[in-house]
Amino acid sequence: MNWQAIALSLKLAFSVAAILLVAGMPIAYWVTFSRWRWKFLVEAVVALPLVLPPTVLGYYILVGLGPRNLPGRLWQSLFGHTLPFTFGGLLAASVLYSLPFAVQPFSAGFESVDRRLIEAAWTLGASRLATFFRVILPLSGAGAVTGVVLSFAHTIGEFGVVLMVGGNIPGVTRTISIDIYDQAQAGNYATANHTALLLLLFSFLVLSVIYGANRRALSLWRKL
Amino acid sequence: MSLEVAIEKQVQDFRLSVQFKADGPPLGLLGSSGSGKTMTLRAIAGLETPDRGRIVLHGRVLFDSDEGINVPARARRIGLLFQNFALFPHLSVAENIAFGLRRLPPEERNRRVAAQLSAAHLEGMENRYPATLSGGEQQRVALARALSIEPAALLLDEPFSALDTHLRSALERHLRETLAHYGGSTLFVSHNLEEAYRVCGELVVLAQGSTVAQGPKEEIFRHPPTLEVARLTGCKNYSRARRAADGSIEALDWGCKLRVAQPFAQPPAHIAVRAHHVRVRPAGESKPERRENIFSCRLVAMTETPFRVTLDLRVIGNIGGNIGGPAETAPESAGFQIQAEVFKQEWEAFRDMPQPWLVELAPERVFLLPD
Repeated sequence: MNWQAIALSLKLAFSVAAILLVAGMPIAYWVTFSRWRWKFLVEAVVALPLVLPPTVLGYYILVGLGPRNLPGRLWQSLFGHTLPFTFGGLLAASVLYSLPFAVQPFSAGFESVDRRLIEAAWTLGASRLATFFRVILPLSGAGAVTGVVLSFAHTIGEFGVVLMVGGNIPGVTRTISIDIYDQAQAGNYATANHTALLLLLFSFLVLSVIYGANRRALSLWRKL
Repeated sequence: MSLEVAIEKQVQDFRLSVQFKADGPPLGLLGSSGSGKTMTLRAIAGLETPDRGRIVLHGRVLFDSDEGINVPARARRIGLLFQNFALFPHLSVAENIAFGLRRLPPEERNRRVAAQLSAAHLEGMENRYPATLSGGEQQRVALARALSIEPAALLLDEPFSALDTHLRSALERHLRETLAHYGGSTLFVSHNLEEAYRVCGELVVLAQGSTVAQGPKEEIFRHPPTLEVARLTGCKNYSRARRAADGSIEALDWGCKLRVAQPFAQPPAHIAVRAHHVRVRPAGESKPERRENIFSCRLVAMTETPFRVTLDLRVIGNIGGNIGGPAETAPESAGFQIQAEVFKQEWEAFRDMPQPWLVELAPERVFLLPD
């Protein structure tokens, strides 16, 4: 088995999950509680990766992050190198690609919090930020867990975007799913099978955790 | 200590336009569901923004559309007791009560929580979670939590509606005692007349989003200013009315004339009498000293509650002078129906007596309503 690829995938997935935990929460909060009439447009943009072919998304990220366009040039002037075909580029692409997998469960979690509890917190003097950390977040724990785990798992399994943006550089951008593809292409079915089986078990485990967490969270507060 | 409210808000087809002033005793906000009670409370708490108007609490302007003032809910220092109590399910009883005391030093916070726990008779429950509490205990925790921040006003939104009947009287007593010691303004929203009457000193009556009456509760119940208020305060019998030539009142829907003790300046639009003020007795009894407003009647239907009986009576004739004689002086179809409420004891005394019975709408119990 290609431990280097597995380690790289884990590193990427942990980073994506951590970034989305921090960046996805404010987006989800805004999506849940904003009354802006054009909110649905933002929601649609966030959800785009769910329906776009990964190659399309990968293509635009590649072009966007490239040296000919503003985000790419900005990055280059700041850090001295371009993003595509680096771990940083892979990370940026993966964060965008997994955004809906974090934002939507977070948002569903926030949505499930009884509005009156939020209002009760306000009348007791809590600011919006305090209300978020003391009431909304603790009561939408299952949504937070689901969002983090899903974005982690989704990053482990991504293929098209990685190939477009990261290429296939061993130790830098060759992740586990690309490794399986390589092994199968090279006719190493035994190795491909081992890695594939590992991913299958991992995915099953992840989904079990999510469904388990949701069930427990539901039964915990159901009595009220 | 006063709370002044004058606000307007349009929500689709519903128009809220209320104004009242609360100072001193708990003020009851009475009205049927959909009359705007809860929306008014939410506007005062800062959870709803009125389109226009002004809310002033103890001289502090919380909302003023002309001056562009809108103090956010968290800075209003108003205790709100939600209908379903809205306890934080992930926090213990003590943590719920301490929720609004974050900025206090720990000793002061603990002292206040302990004081609230003891006032609410919740000692020993501080580490329990809301889901393990009974409805009554939840209500006491919610009240303690609202009071812990020492609010300038306390708003109670139908605090008993989520509770079983047998719990209510004890909790109501607890609430009345608590309110008696509370220094701020209290607003009590209810659709239950008797509850509002027991808890409050003054009442504001809302109908279709508007204030239709405000005053001391006794006054509101004795002399409802409009038919709407009479109905909302539980009056069951009313008829259109006009003044007759001989100084009595002609009840147009009832097709009879009635003598009324209450002096009236403007021409009355309606005449009304409360069910528990309608007197019923068997016809054979000794002569009463009065003969006015006495009719013969037959029982149409009867509803029993544990201590009282509600009687639907068809009034069949004005018996005038011939008490004890044959009662039928008007055809059955000409009569009108009236509701009476009597104690079980009284009911048992005449239930088996031969009908028709006599029904009296005493002149001092009948009241007139302007348009």
